[in-house]
Amino acid sequence: MLEARNIAKSYASAEGPAPVLRDVSLTLEQGEFLAIVGRSGSGKSTLLNILSTLLAPDAGQVLYAGRDVTRLPEAELAALRRRDFAVVFQMHHLLPYLTALENVLLPFMTGLAPAPRDAVERARRCLDRVGLGGKHHRLPGRLSGGEQQRVAIARALVKEAAILFADEPTGSLDPATGREIVGLLQDLNADGLSVVMVTHDLGYASCARRVLRMENGAPACAA
Amino acid sequence: MNLLTIPLRCARRKWPRFVLLTLVFALGATSMVALWHVSRVVGDSLERKLTAFGANILVSPKAETLAVSYGGVSLGNLLYEVRHLDEAATVSAIRSIPLSANVAAVAPKLVGTAALGAEQVPVVGVRFDQEQTIKKYWRIKGLFPTRENEVVLGSALAARLGLDFGSAFRLGDEEVTVAGVLSPTGGDDDTVVLADLTLAQRLFRLPGKVNFVEVSALCAGCPIEDIVAQIGGKLPGLEVKALRSVVEGRMASVHFVQHLTLAVALVILVSACAVVGFSMLSAVNERKAEIGLLRSLGYSRAGVFAIFCSEAVLLGAAAGAIGALAGWGVGREVVRLLDAAGEVLPAFSPLEALAVCLGMALVAALAAAYPAAKAARIDPSAALVSL
Repeated sequence: MLEARNIAKSYASAEGPAPVLRDVSLTLEQGEFLAIVGRSGSGKSTLLNILSTLLAPDAGQVLYAGRDVTRLPEAELAALRRRDFAVVFQMHHLLPYLTALENVLLPFMTGLAPAPRDAVERARRCLDRVGLGGKHHRLPGRLSGGEQQRVAIARALVKEAAILFADEPTGSLDPATGREIVGLLQDLNADGLSVVMVTHDLGYASCARRVLRMENGAPACAA
Repeated sequence: MNLLTIPLRCARRKWPRFVLLTLVFALGATSMVALWHVSRVVGDSLERKLTAFGANILVSPKAETLAVSYGGVSLGNLLYEVRHLDEAATVSAIRSIPLSANVAAVAPKLVGTAALGAEQVPVVGVRFDQEQTIKKYWRIKGLFPTRENEVVLGSALAARLGLDFGSAFRLGDEEVTVAGVLSPTGGDDDTVVLADLTLAQRLFRLPGKVNFVEVSALCAGCPIEDIVAQIGGKLPGLEVKALRSVVEGRMASVHFVQHLTLAVALVILVSACAVVGFSMLSAVNERKAEIGLLRSLGYSRAGVFAIFCSEAVLLGAAAGAIGALAGWGVGREVVRLLDAAGEVLPAFSPLEALAVCLGMALVAALAAAYPAAKAARIDPSAALVSL
């Protein structure tokens, strides 16, 4: 479904280019739950950003449905993000001036494609699914950290994407709430959604079907 | 729910910032609209006042001239076949042109000489009410004539003949009284007898006839060529010419006022634009994560650009609406305080208000274009990681 081939990425630094990823290759099968673990600076978040097309690699390819998505023009890239890929971030990034329901509806407000007729109904169902049934019209400021992350997951779910990328989704949550969020991701995966989750917590990573451990910008081993 | 939902909600939830920015921008719009109203009214008023310093269109018969020279010595031009205009028909034709509202005065004249005692003196027949409209600089010792057999003397002529107001004398076949003596003007009026036109027509045995007609036209609203063309159209066969130096001198004053206000308005507008631009730039920096998120959700660069531009358009339209209304009110008060326009005060026009709204929305969008373009160029991963 998704394949990364020989991905390399460097960031500029005072001492010259600092390599973050070196020759990383991986595959994600349909319906798989892949956890990418590693210490801070191991390159796991950079890898996730490249896989989700938010960042372009210096070298290598990311193939989705047989197409190299690293070379797509801007419009096609936006369409791919709108249609097939969904991303959940550590800092849930909800728009503070939109209600939970409006935040979930954001993927339908791009102006590039007409929103489905049942968009609002779908958004409500997604919020119900993540356990926020009675809080549709609350502003993010009136939700707890865990609830905000659930809204972000509902926002990822609403467009019925093929792959959910989660970058440290438990990073800003307490352990109990973190477990709930990972449990939710497991449930979604059980329903057929492919999930790629970056975490530095091996406990959460153990919930995935496959774990990729990153060390110094390259996979150390796969479990 | 669509792309506009985001700027609308943002404006609603962040209303103090939106209101403050709108007020700043509205201040600019108000100043511009008020200055525009004031300049328009003051310009018109100024031109009306300048009308007192002379006519700017001359209507006369087409005169035939013959250049006379002998032995290589020029003896000047010989005017022959002198024709006269019919006063009533000419004045009525001028008053009936489509741009008649721009005609401030129509002053017919009949010029000739008449015997005053042993000598011939130049006599100019005028309609005093019209003449005073275009020669408000006249100062008189005594009064302007109220009766047909009363005349006004030029200062130099009165001094030469030893006459003063109240003097009576015989002019041609008519007994006349001096109603007043003009103060020196430095022009032709100093050496003539100014008589009522009807009296002059009787003196010269040319009832209802005049030599030429001076017209004072207001040119703020239309070019003088239009008025000249319309008079020419009504009076074919006559010579109608614009006295360009008078027009240009008069319009230079009017245009100076208008250009000055335009310059001030532009400075205000540019300042308001700078405030909006800087504010949008700071909003873009504050909302980097939001932009990164939108891009990660599949919003195109154009979509992000549109969101920030829409915010500015919303702000500009609101400021334009306030500015159109407040500017009209302020302009009205300023005109009233300056007593610049007499009874004429700026009128509120819904069409003009709409134009101000649209104009300000466009200007705000232009001011926000750079910040919005900057927002559209933000790399989504960098924006999300940076926070």
